[in-house]
Amino acid sequence: MTTIETLPSYLDQTPEVAARFARLVERPVALEVKGLTKVFDSSRGAVTALKDLSFSVHKREFTCVIGPSGCGKSTLVRILAGLETATSGEVLVGGKSVSGPGPDRGMVFQGYTLFPWLSVKENVMFGPKVSGTSSVAAEREARQWIDLVGLSKFENAYPYQLSGGMKQRVAIARALANQPQVLFMDEPFGALDAQTRCEMQNYLLEIWKNVDITIVFITHDLDEAVFLSDRILVLDANPGRFREMVEVPVSRPRSNDQVFEPLFGATRKHIEHLIHPPGREQKEAPVMRIAKPDPDVI
Amino acid sequence: MSRPRIFSDWFRIRKDLSPGRKSLLTVFSFCLPAALWCIVSYVPFIWHPDVKITVAASREGSSTVLTAGDHLPKDYFPKYVNDVREENASEREGSKRKNQKLLRQISPLVIEAGWLDERDAQNDKEIYLFWRDIATGKRELPALNDENMEIVRKNWEILASSSPVFEYKSLPEEPLLKLVPQGKPANPSYLPAPDEVIETGWSLFTRPPRNDGATMGERYRSSLGIIFRGFLWACLIGVPIGILCGTYSFFSTLLEPFTDFFRYMPAPTFSTLLVAVLAAGDSPKIALVLIGTLPHMILMISKTTRLLDPALLEAAQTLGAKPRQMIGSVVLPGIAPNLYNDLRILLGWAWTWLVIAELIGVKSGLTEVIETQGRFRNFDQVFPVIILIGITGFVTDQILAWFHGVLFPWAGTSGRISRAVASFVTWPIRTVASAANERIMQDELAREARRKLRPSTESP
Ligand SMILES: Nc1ncnc2c1ncn2[C@@H]1O[C@H](COP(=O)(O)OP(=O)(O)O)[C@@H](O)[C@H]1O
Ligand SMILES: [Mg+2]
Repeated sequence: MTTIETLPSYLDQTPEVAARFARLVERPVALEVKGLTKVFDSSRGAVTALKDLSFSVHKREFTCVIGPSGCGKSTLVRILAGLETATSGEVLVGGKSVSGPGPDRGMVFQGYTLFPWLSVKENVMFGPKVSGTSSVAAEREARQWIDLVGLSKFENAYPYQLSGGMKQRVAIARALANQPQVLFMDEPFGALDAQTRCEMQNYLLEIWKNVDITIVFITHDLDEAVFLSDRILVLDANPGRFREMVEVPVSRPRSNDQVFEPLFGATRKHIEHLIHPPGREQKEAPVMRIAKPDPDVI
Repeated sequence: MSRPRIFSDWFRIRKDLSPGRKSLLTVFSFCLPAALWCIVSYVPFIWHPDVKITVAASREGSSTVLTAGDHLPKDYFPKYVNDVREENASEREGSKRKNQKLLRQISPLVIEAGWLDERDAQNDKEIYLFWRDIATGKRELPALNDENMEIVRKNWEILASSSPVFEYKSLPEEPLLKLVPQGKPANPSYLPAPDEVIETGWSLFTRPPRNDGATMGERYRSSLGIIFRGFLWACLIGVPIGILCGTYSFFSTLLEPFTDFFRYMPAPTFSTLLVAVLAAGDSPKIALVLIGTLPHMILMISKTTRLLDPALLEAAQTLGAKPRQMIGSVVLPGIAPNLYNDLRILLGWAWTWLVIAELIGVKSGLTEVIETQGRFRNFDQVFPVIILIGITGFVTDQILAWFHGVLFPWAGTSGRISRAVASFVTWPIRTVASAANERIMQDELAREARRKLRPSTESP
């Protein structure tokens, strides 16, 4: 526990980063959430999933939402996408109030939600086609998006032939093909193995750089949150409430080595303490078979 | 000492057997019942409680008339034989009339041997000559044992001394001998042996029908017609309703409770009603298949529709699909493979309704044969029909199962062959489509190029 003292404060932004954040808040607001409350009326009584949540996200910002399991992250993103209606409060995207799902907001789900009966190309064409784009134009656009996520070779494959990471790349391409203003992602890499997840994070940052898009990314993985975001919205559980909007002081462009930077560690530590306050998790050790002292196992 | 490999790993919990072992067991699953049937039929000491009469004789003073093919209990047969022997040995009154009847004793045997047409069973002239031929050894009738051959010879002696050809006038008054009953051990008539079933089955389908009834081919076609028409109607009504019920709570609450109730009223109970409403002919039968299948179809398909991953619907919504586009572009393609399998199962059930349907109103089709022949205990004619129905259902289902892979290559369950067929079948469509796409794409590019050119020519 010596590192704690040697870590800088997560608030110590370099002038460069501070200037970036200053420019960021100057940008127009892409997504605004005002006083959002969601109460589920289940058979076991009312459950307040979200309570009076307010925050805003600026254009081209990468925001992560993090919080303990069951704090309402999925509920939040489903309300933002219009799949769920809020009990009270308002969501504005590009200044317009959200009242249902629409192509101005893209969504990537944790589970694999590619249409299994459509090929990769047809999956990506789905959005443009249902909104009336001609097949030819939709196909041409789809090719570009598939190229962007690096799956040109697989454009005629069916989802069952793809790996988990590839499926999520197609899901991202499919969401982007609609040219949404905001892209919501609900733990999209949660089901992937650590290595693929790391690859996917780099891919995502690359895409974010090249595409005019604002991203709200739900995760429960601290490293993922710090690695990806400009700002991290930390939620409290029971009911889900605003805890803190953390500005990530790690410079951009991000690379995998930055995980070892002191500022990265400091930010990570801070958020970890917000989510799991220290000193609370001393649980009784379960009864187990005790090993004899072994000099080689220390 | 380790066991040889062939004995190990046949029983592993929830582990697949190797393909070779699987095929072997599949073959066995058919061979086993067949082998059992053969053993029971052909190994004499296993069961055989009856004697099947091959040579029949009538007895003086007995009202039961036994003919070849009838079954007698094993214990009773010796008494039957003895009765006839005693009758032969006793002092009897003879007459031309009786002797004419006795002449005809051999007609079933010569018909069976194929020497005489069935219609000539009472053609005494011909029969008379057969007596001669058999007695003189010109023809051999292995169906007769030595005792009966002796009787034939003795009878012919008597007959020949009166006339070399049949003439009622010159029939002797001296009583002829009766053939002594012969028989072979047999199982009860409800369990005919495989060869009998195959032989009768073959003749059922190849020989013209006895009385002016329909041929088996026509019956088969009529049965298939009823089941497929009934099933088609059920699909036309049931599939859309099922999908609507699975998609909209409105329809499921409005329609499913009554359907559920209706399901418990057995379809056959409507048969008289259907005949009254739709009159005789095929319509009430088709309607019965429809009524039997429809409620199950609606409930099954609505359940299948509800099982579609709701995340797919949500994904489609976030991609901008409007509610009216959802059924066509997500629900239908999403449930298609399961819907197809549902219909396969329902088609299997429809055969049950067919059997009942064919009994209502004017009996018809294959079931009529089962029903009428079963009443006469001609089970050797019943079994081929039952087996035919079984084979038809099974083969249809297997073919449909295989087509599942051709129709839904994306489900990832298709085998190599069905994938190849699928790509072969869709090849022309794909080629035409991609060529058309290419053309449209070029047109569009050309138009775009022209559009780009125009402003530059307009500006000075
Ligand atoms: N459809 C629902 N009905 C009732 N309660 C729900 C429903 N969806 C979520 N909840 C409740 O809301 C809370 C937040 O859930 P969720 O948003 O899934 O959390 P997270 O994604 O952060 O793990 C949980 O306590 C959950 O039980
Ligand atoms: Mg969640």
